[in-house]
Amino acid sequence: MNVFVTPAMLAQVVVSGILSGALYAMVALGLALIFGVMRIINVAHGPLLMLGAYTTYFLYSALGLNPYLTVPVSMLALFAVGVLLERTLVFRVVDAPELSSLLLTFGISIALVNLAQLLFTSDLRSVEYLTGSWVVGPVALSKPRLVAFVFAGALTGLAFLFLRRTKLGKAIRATSQSREVAMVCGIDVQRIHLITFGLAAALAAAGGALIAMIVAIQPEMGQTWTFKSFLVIVLGGAGNYPGALLGGILLGLIEQVASLFLTTQLSEVVAYVLLVVVLLVRPTGLLGGRET
Amino acid sequence: MLTVNGIRDDLMATTVLEIERLTKRFGGVTAVDGVSLRLEAGRIYGLIGPNGSGKTTLFNCITGVERRDEGRVVFGGGRIDGLKPWEIAQKGIGRTFQLIRVFPELSALENLLVVTRDNLAAARERALELLRFVKLEELRDEYAGNLSYGQQKLLEFVRVLMREPTLILLDEPAAGVNRTLLNDLLDAVRHLRNQGRTVLLVEHDMKVVMGLCETVFVLDHGEKIAEGAPGVIQTDERVIEAYFGR
Repeated sequence: MNVFVTPAMLAQVVVSGILSGALYAMVALGLALIFGVMRIINVAHGPLLMLGAYTTYFLYSALGLNPYLTVPVSMLALFAVGVLLERTLVFRVVDAPELSSLLLTFGISIALVNLAQLLFTSDLRSVEYLTGSWVVGPVALSKPRLVAFVFAGALTGLAFLFLRRTKLGKAIRATSQSREVAMVCGIDVQRIHLITFGLAAALAAAGGALIAMIVAIQPEMGQTWTFKSFLVIVLGGAGNYPGALLGGILLGLIEQVASLFLTTQLSEVVAYVLLVVVLLVRPTGLLGGRET
Repeated sequence: MLTVNGIRDDLMATTVLEIERLTKRFGGVTAVDGVSLRLEAGRIYGLIGPNGSGKTTLFNCITGVERRDEGRVVFGGGRIDGLKPWEIAQKGIGRTFQLIRVFPELSALENLLVVTRDNLAAARERALELLRFVKLEELRDEYAGNLSYGQQKLLEFVRVLMREPTLILLDEPAAGVNRTLLNDLLDAVRHLRNQGRTVLLVEHDMKVVMGLCETVFVLDHGEKIAEGAPGVIQTDERVIEAYFGR
């Protein structure tokens, strides 16, 4: 247990926490969208992120593309994968009991991970493009993390702008507030489901593409992201889209602060304990209810 | 003037909706049992019956929310049973719900904007016009969930009008509404009729039904037991029996 904490150390963890929190928020927003609109917890969300990371890796290593330019390409590719998954499999469990959708997306998750192992092997891969840090006063800002933060912030902002301002975005919010009313009002709910799933996969892919430049890429990198995204939307209030932002930043901060005081293994536990505590004490999330 | 068999076309009643022997079962319960009815353009119809007589289920079958087990629903010249609810809505059937159902976390204006096939700019004008019509213009940016009960009722009502439906189904428009608001709503319904639209309403308030509807259908245990002008229905023995028992 480390008990010597200087203000500089605290500043460092707060900054690091916010940097990774923005990524959590963006990825979790995808999970929140699917849950809000389709009432499905997509266990395959993390593996979709993993596919996004591999897309970026191959575009970078095989074609020599600037990895930041691959972010939109990964997003588009995974949007297509998401649409395909929804149209072939996920649509079947939209109205089914919760267990069916959990089992199905869990199955998709396992299939995607194993497929990745088969196709890409379990070798660790990395995209080394930006390395090192910028030092600002007492705080060191990791270059790839800072750029990832900027990208995540911008993409999340765009996603919210889309939800707020466009006709399609409004229809997605309407469907998440009441599917039956949306249908009777003439909103093609099947199409909304399709687009929502694709959009969520694209957000996961953006996360994967950015993380690919920070950590090692391997087929099992995604599962912890499913869990963390789930934690984020529980923190922020399930189905509450702005809540995902708050939850993401909070998770980033909590993880970083915990790492100051605890060993690496123990600080990993903190997130899980937090999930249990929030579910016990405030199951509707910190912002409560649903506010889209 | 077009003529068909010597009869002037505009005097011939145009059928808007025709339901033939529609049946809907839930497990062992037959909620709607072989109901047939025909609605003509530019008229106001009432659908009454004791609780659980199948009125809302019939609405749900017309709007496609429930799949009918047997029978046909013909609207605007084509069969609509089997279509998706949004396809039916796009063809021109709008409805309100027994318990108000606005999108609580969309603004009043957005509640109308989501219900359009036009682009947002074109829809915005019509939406603002409708909000003016029910005097909610000032509250356009307020979340619908924050509006009063009466305001939500009006909002739900004009949301139906966004698509300019030819047939409007209203589920208990008078429930929980004060006198002034009720009169406004009834005036609006007559106004719609005068535009040539057809209105079918489920209502428990008999004063409203008698004052507004030209033809009334009576359901009991899922069956249509009577049909006719309000005055006639009131004295129908089967109707009296259904409501008050023997």
